[in-house]
Amino acid sequence: MKFKRVGIIDYGAGNLGSIYNSMQYLNIETKVLNTPSNLDQFSHLILPGVGSFGKLAENLSRKNWPQNIKDFVRKGKNLLGICVGMQLLFESSEESKNSKGLSLIKGNFKLFDASFNLPIPHMGFNEVDHSNTEIWKGIKNKSPFYFIHSFKVKNTEDKTILSKTFYGEEFISFVEKENIFGSQFHPEKSHLVGLKLLKNFLEINN
Amino acid sequence: MIKKRIIFALLYQDGYFHLSRNFKLQKVGDVNWLINNFRFGSTSNYIDELICLLVKKEPTIEDKKAFIKDVNKLREKIFIPITLGGGIRNLKDASDYFNNGADKISLNTSIFQKNLTREISNIYGEQSISIMIDYLKNENLEEQIFSNCGTKLENNLFKFFNRINEFNYGEIILNSIEQDGTGNGLDLNVIKKMPKNLKKKPFLLMGGAGKPEHIVEGLKNNFVSGVITANLFNFLGEGLEESRKMSILNKINLADFSAKIIL
Repeated sequence: MKFKRVGIIDYGAGNLGSIYNSMQYLNIETKVLNTPSNLDQFSHLILPGVGSFGKLAENLSRKNWPQNIKDFVRKGKNLLGICVGMQLLFESSEESKNSKGLSLIKGNFKLFDASFNLPIPHMGFNEVDHSNTEIWKGIKNKSPFYFIHSFKVKNTEDKTILSKTFYGEEFISFVEKENIFGSQFHPEKSHLVGLKLLKNFLEINN
Repeated sequence: MIKKRIIFALLYQDGYFHLSRNFKLQKVGDVNWLINNFRFGSTSNYIDELICLLVKKEPTIEDKKAFIKDVNKLREKIFIPITLGGGIRNLKDASDYFNNGADKISLNTSIFQKNLTREISNIYGEQSISIMIDYLKNENLEEQIFSNCGTKLENNLFKFFNRINEFNYGEIILNSIEQDGTGNGLDLNVIKKMPKNLKKKPFLLMGGAGKPEHIVEGLKNNFVSGVITANLFNFLGEGLEESRKMSILNKINLADFSAKIIL
C-alpha cells in the first residue's frame, strides 16, 4: 500500500473544518495547507470551495496555487475539487466573467436557467446518477448528496467520465478525468454516503 | 429532483441550549448533555440540515466565542449542512462563522443592511445567506417584523417582501413568534399573503411544529422548501425519525438516508 496523506488547500474558501473533521473521522493523516510548499509529501489534495468563483480564483492565484496544483496532478497524484473547488477545475464561470479557473478540464459554468421556474440556488439534497466507477463503489446509484450552488456546467470534453443530476435540466454533478475529480455537491455534508465517497477517493492510488 | 428539507434548529445562550416559547427561553442542557443524552450524532441522520443560533441580545465577543466553541464540539462527528446565526453585524462576524463550520449564515437583525448582504455575497456567494425573519401580528392582525430577539424592526412584513430583491440572499426563513414553541402547528396562512411576484428562492417555515403531522403538513405546501423545528423535547429522540418516515409515506420528496453504508 502506498503512503496516504491528504492536504486540504486553505485559500479562504470556507468550510475547511468540515472536510478536516471528515478526514479525522476516516482516520487519515491530514494537513491544512496555507501555501503550496512541499506538496511532494501528499498523495491527495482537496480543493474546497465556498464562495464566489472570482474571489476564490483570485485567492488561489495570489498564493501561486495554480501552477503547483497542475504540477501535482501531472505527477499522477489525486486531486478532488468540491463545490466551487470543482468549478475552479474548469475554465470559467458566468459568475465572474473576468476570472479564469485552473482549466484542467474544459467547460464553462452558467447560471441555472430561470425559465424552469425553480428556486436558484439549487440547494438541498438531490440524487446523483453516478458513473459506477471505482470512486462510487459501495454507493447505491441515485443516492442523495447535498448541493448548494447557482451555476452548473452541462458540457465538457470527451476524456471525462460524468455523473449527472437533474434540476430542471441535467447537469454535471461529478466529473472524473484520470486523477482529477470534481464534486459539485458537498460529500463532507452528505451523511455517511458522502464519507464513503471521500474514503473511496482516498483509496485511489495512481 | 431536489428534495425538501427537515431542519433542526438549536438555540444557544450562555453555555446552554434552550427551548423557546413565544421567544421566552428556558434552559435545557449544555453541549455535553446534548451529545450524550440525545445521542445527537445519530439523531442527525434524520435531518437534512442543522441550524445553530446564538439567541442573545447584542452578544459580546465572548458570547460569540463560547457559542463557536460549543458548535465546533457538536459538529465534530456530524456531517450535514450547518447554518450559524446570531449577532452578525458585519462581515467579520459572518467570516467567523464561515471559518467555523457554517455552510450558510442566517441574518436577522442585520437584514436591512443591504451593503452587508452584498459584502457577504461577494465573498461567500448569495447562496450562503439565509434571511431569517421573525414576525408577529399586531392588534390589527398585521404581520410585523421583529429582530434582535424580539425588537420591532419593520411595521409591515409584506412591504418588506416587495423590496427584498434589493438584497443578496439565498433563502428565506419565516419564523412565527406567535407559533414559536407552542406545538400548535406552523403558520401556513402567511404563505397565502406573500406577493405573487416573489423571486424563486427556497422558502422555509419555522415556529409551531409540535408533532410529525405538522412537519408533513408544512412540507406538502408547494411553496415550502423546508420546515424547521427547534423543539428539543418533541423532536429529538424518535420525533425526527418519525417525521421523516411519515413524510415519505405521504409521498413528500425527501432524501433517503437509510441505505446501509460500510465505511
